[in-house]
Amino acid sequence: MLKKYYIPRLIQYFTVVFIGLTLVFVIPRLLPSNPVESQLSRMMAQGQYLDPAAIEQIRETLQQLYGLEGGMFQQYISYFKRLFTGDLGPSFTQFPTPVMTLIKQSLPWTVGLLLVSLTISWLIGTILGGIRVSFPHSRLARLIELVIMGVRPIPYYIVALVLLILFAFLVPVFPMAGGYSMGVKIGFNARFILSLLRHAFLPVLSMVIIEIGGWFLQMRNVASNIIEEDYVVYAEASGLPKAKIVFMYIMRNAIIPQITGFALNLGFIFGGALITEIVFAYPGMGYLLYSAILAGDYNLIMGINVFSIIGVSTAMLVVDLVYPLLDPRVRYS
Amino acid sequence: MRSKSVLLLLVVGFCLVFSSVLLAAEPPRHETLIADILTGKVGNPGNFNFWATWVGNDKGLQQLVIDPLWMADYVTGEMINVLAKENPIYSEDFTTMTVKLREGIYWNDGVPFTADDVVYTVELSMATPGFGYHTQFNQYVEKVYKTDDYTVIFELKQPNSRFHYQFLDRWGACRILPKHVFEQVEDPLSFQFNPPVGTGPYKLVDYDLGGYWFLYELREDWERTATGMLYGKPAPKYVKFMYVGDASKKAMAMINHELDMADLTPESLEVVLSRNEYASGYYKDFPWAELLHPCVTGAAFNTLVYPFDNPEVRWALNLALDAKNLALTAYNGAVAFAPAYIPALLPYYELYYERMLPYLEEYTLEIDGEEYKIFNSNLPFEMAEEARRRGYDVPETEEEIRIMFGYGWWKHSPELAEKLLLKNGFTRGRDGKWLLPDGTPWKIEIVCLTAATNPSFKWAFAIANQWSAFGIDCEAIPTEVVESLTETGDYQVVGGQPAAEPFGAGIDLYRGLNVFHSQYWKPIGEKLVGHQSRWVNEEIDYFIDQMEQTDYSDPKNIELAIEVAKRLIDGQPGVSLASFPGFMGLDNYYWTNYPTGDNPYAVPWYHWPNFKFVLPFLQPTGRH
Amino acid sequence: MFAVIRDLYRNDKRFAFGFTVLAFFVIIAFVSRFAPYDMRAWNTVPRDLRPSLQHPLGTNSIGQDIMWKAMAAIKNSLLLGVIAAAISRVIAIVVGLLSGYKGGLFDRVVMVLTDSFIIIPLFPILILIATILRSSLNMVVLGIVIGLFGWAWDARLFRSQILSLKEREFTRTAVFSGLKTFKIVTTEHLPYIVPLVMATTINNVIWVIGMEVTLSMLGLSNLNTPTIGTMIYWALQYQAIFLERWNWILTPVIICVVLILALYMLSTSISEYLDPRTRLQMIRKR
Repeated sequence: MLKKYYIPRLIQYFTVVFIGLTLVFVIPRLLPSNPVESQLSRMMAQGQYLDPAAIEQIRETLQQLYGLEGGMFQQYISYFKRLFTGDLGPSFTQFPTPVMTLIKQSLPWTVGLLLVSLTISWLIGTILGGIRVSFPHSRLARLIELVIMGVRPIPYYIVALVLLILFAFLVPVFPMAGGYSMGVKIGFNARFILSLLRHAFLPVLSMVIIEIGGWFLQMRNVASNIIEEDYVVYAEASGLPKAKIVFMYIMRNAIIPQITGFALNLGFIFGGALITEIVFAYPGMGYLLYSAILAGDYNLIMGINVFSIIGVSTAMLVVDLVYPLLDPRVRYS
Repeated sequence: MRSKSVLLLLVVGFCLVFSSVLLAAEPPRHETLIADILTGKVGNPGNFNFWATWVGNDKGLQQLVIDPLWMADYVTGEMINVLAKENPIYSEDFTTMTVKLREGIYWNDGVPFTADDVVYTVELSMATPGFGYHTQFNQYVEKVYKTDDYTVIFELKQPNSRFHYQFLDRWGACRILPKHVFEQVEDPLSFQFNPPVGTGPYKLVDYDLGGYWFLYELREDWERTATGMLYGKPAPKYVKFMYVGDASKKAMAMINHELDMADLTPESLEVVLSRNEYASGYYKDFPWAELLHPCVTGAAFNTLVYPFDNPEVRWALNLALDAKNLALTAYNGAVAFAPAYIPALLPYYELYYERMLPYLEEYTLEIDGEEYKIFNSNLPFEMAEEARRRGYDVPETEEEIRIMFGYGWWKHSPELAEKLLLKNGFTRGRDGKWLLPDGTPWKIEIVCLTAATNPSFKWAFAIANQWSAFGIDCEAIPTEVVESLTETGDYQVVGGQPAAEPFGAGIDLYRGLNVFHSQYWKPIGEKLVGHQSRWVNEEIDYFIDQMEQTDYSDPKNIELAIEVAKRLIDGQPGVSLASFPGFMGLDNYYWTNYPTGDNPYAVPWYHWPNFKFVLPFLQPTGRH
Repeated sequence: MFAVIRDLYRNDKRFAFGFTVLAFFVIIAFVSRFAPYDMRAWNTVPRDLRPSLQHPLGTNSIGQDIMWKAMAAIKNSLLLGVIAAAISRVIAIVVGLLSGYKGGLFDRVVMVLTDSFIIIPLFPILILIATILRSSLNMVVLGIVIGLFGWAWDARLFRSQILSLKEREFTRTAVFSGLKTFKIVTTEHLPYIVPLVMATTINNVIWVIGMEVTLSMLGLSNLNTPTIGTMIYWALQYQAIFLERWNWILTPVIICVVLILALYMLSTSISEYLDPRTRLQMIRKR
């Protein structure tokens, strides 16, 4: 078992992580944006008077500071060396601030936002999906399905914008921008937490609205297969109470794919939610990554993606290793 | 019972979350001026050391806290002495520059500002690779020293009649840093300079770790700052810089009086004006926008790429454009035309456009032996007429109309454009579309920025549309990597600036035109140094050289610059359309007396360093 | 085939709705070729007109007829969705099934490849491609690119479904009773896989269209090409919501919703039809 399943799976894990880390080294370097040039244009955009006579010299200085002088292979080797010591290098857009510092500033916002919205949408979607299948002839259940499926295709940007217009503009109960209020001390205190909740409410709500649909649909599909399994049919025939059938037989068995789906999605929370951050002016990793890509900030692109790569592949690994324990029908093959 | 208490808890929790009362830690709104962060969310907000190249200055820092030696004001056309007491004094041969400093100024931590700070700023920059002015100072400065506490002498490596431009702030310059803070620092490049110590009238109180807002408070000893000495007490006790999001969000915030000054788009300004009775644009009525800005916009040709290497083709493309229609499409007609590669600007109107008008009006193009006068000096009046037709209130006098819309542009002459192209071997295909001389379809790509509010984007789309109508298969391509494409010359036409930006103060156009000097020319593939059009002209070199040997304030510069402009017109390395139109929204609910078109007393933009000089003129309305 | 469609059309309202809408959209996509205006040009009609006989959905602030623009958008978005979904479905199904049934070393190598595709950061790649191709970035190319990067997740899903089915009681029964593998797959497993494929297809189309909208909102797709995303982009750019130009902003949103709703109804209806057990129920009900 160990030899037949766990070890190959671990080899697969490390191979994938290695490929991923290599790709995030290569891809940014293929981008047409170049850290030195984008810094120059940023200097100009920030109004610095760039004497044409000085430009070439400035280019050279930047090139040197960024450590981009050696060959690709040399850079590749030192990238892995640094990675093993947990050093992601300096950011080019915020030189010489370490990439790690920038990630630390943004990561808590993103993890908080995505974890909460993922959990809420998962819970609601799963429960509603189960209900829909368990009561196939209920009008209410059908209505719920129609609403969920009708809302889901609305482009996310529109959903977010409409929420913002309704609850931050027309009825301004929620703030227009930011992650917390002015004058609030960041830390574990009531004012900060309240302020945090107030600012995160709309972003979370917008994501929940959109994400419920996916969970609902998956639950609905899985559960509708289960409802026709023999044991459910027997249970119904033997006159067990409906509630017991729904929770003990249908939900419980249909939840396994839901749980693995949840776990896999956990892996994706490091990438951030770009559009959410843009619409609600909310801090996080999405915009950090986006601006890094546009500015050709190789180290920052790599740094953020290292988190995602390890996050996603670890989630997949964990699911693969644990799944057989949850679902006895799947054997290690 | 249990469910009831849970419900109660939920209700209480919700109320808490909703109630902003509990969170009222903001400074009193009526004492606070709230301005937009123009360049958006600030990365690494806790770093205020903007002498290191990477730290952005657009977070209130240059506007409120840090001072330069001199400041350019493009509305009055003056150079303001800030930390310097007077204009720079150059030696006869331009090898030394003497700066006299203002006395009685203090840093916001109580230390007096002296010549040591200036000397240290330059020396530290020279010693620290990665500081913004490291290269320039090493290139120019032989030695810098003080002769007394308020006099600094720069000895230059080579004659330079414009060395002080490094210190002349025009939304960017080498500003002066506090020696007593930086000399304690081991690595000045990674030093965060938090809290920032400056000579400006405000100091930092608080900032958002997410980079969305910064709060500043007026110094108690504001009298000991250059702003206080020059203009008196700034009115707002607090100034908050805040980024709420794109133009629609800024509009929403302005309508709810959560934002006083913001950069908008024509449409979002329209929204604000229709829903906030206290709001106004730069003008109260049409054209609302600030039209006069020291920056020419339009497009630039890559003059090394076929067929744009042919000046007649570039002329043909210019003549195929209908300026009036472009202005209406892109900016609803709110545009001040700038055909001579010199921005349409109040000071420059008198110095340059007034003088050049006869030349422009007589400008002729010879095609197949026939001569055509192609300048339309009547365009401003046509624009005014069009605006009136659409029901807007437009000034009546010739002078006012010229101030608003400029001195005219080239006539829309598709038939001349046609002649020029046919003359150069271009033909029209059976479907009426233009073919290159070799018979293949002519396709033009105009690359531009992705920010739809930027003139680069607006003009690119409007121009592409007109060239398409003229029969060329033309498309505007917004891309995030415009700089990388222009840097190596991998483009055909780019939406943006047909010339570089001059200071807007004084008579000198050296900055703005010197990019066309052939010493900065690079072939395609090599990294750009001069202007992105890579256009050069021997005669221009001569005039630019002449400028370098002339004092920056010598009126001779005017003649020299006009000669350069004439060559640029002959060569048309771009489409020199109009000054950068700025759709600024102003909310008069809490504050009034902003600088506007009706009362243009200073640079109106809150992201410029001149902002601190505007604050003393603002008046609270007394609303709470 | 026709009989089946006719049957479903008569008996299942969801199918009828989905089929009608899709057929309507396909017709629109063809008709959009005959637009009287150049959809890329600006100012071809007066600006900001309310709906009228001449312009049934009015005109927008850059002087384009909204109805014709919307028809072209339907064509392009449909094209994008079909290409991307088709490519990614084919790859996902082939990879998932092969890997699931074959197992062994083949499975492991393929899974490494699949997992690598899952973790590749898509966004930099899309920007890379968009900037390299520039004006040659059309719906077909974008569809292919998105399709090539949108299969891995679902391949994994199909594979695990196969692995689960292989261990099921009925599979063993079938094997013992001497059925060939091919027969088992087509008769026993397909009813389980088809609903999954249908569901992932819907998810995929939503994802593709969402991706296109996101790229447009960031100004990264070709903004001259009318699509659902670029229509929303221009409408928001010109403040259609606040200036209450509902005909402009709501048109693409409604198209998007109706299109995906139709696909959803169609897919649930088809999967139920293919499921032998529900088919029995349907017959019994009749």
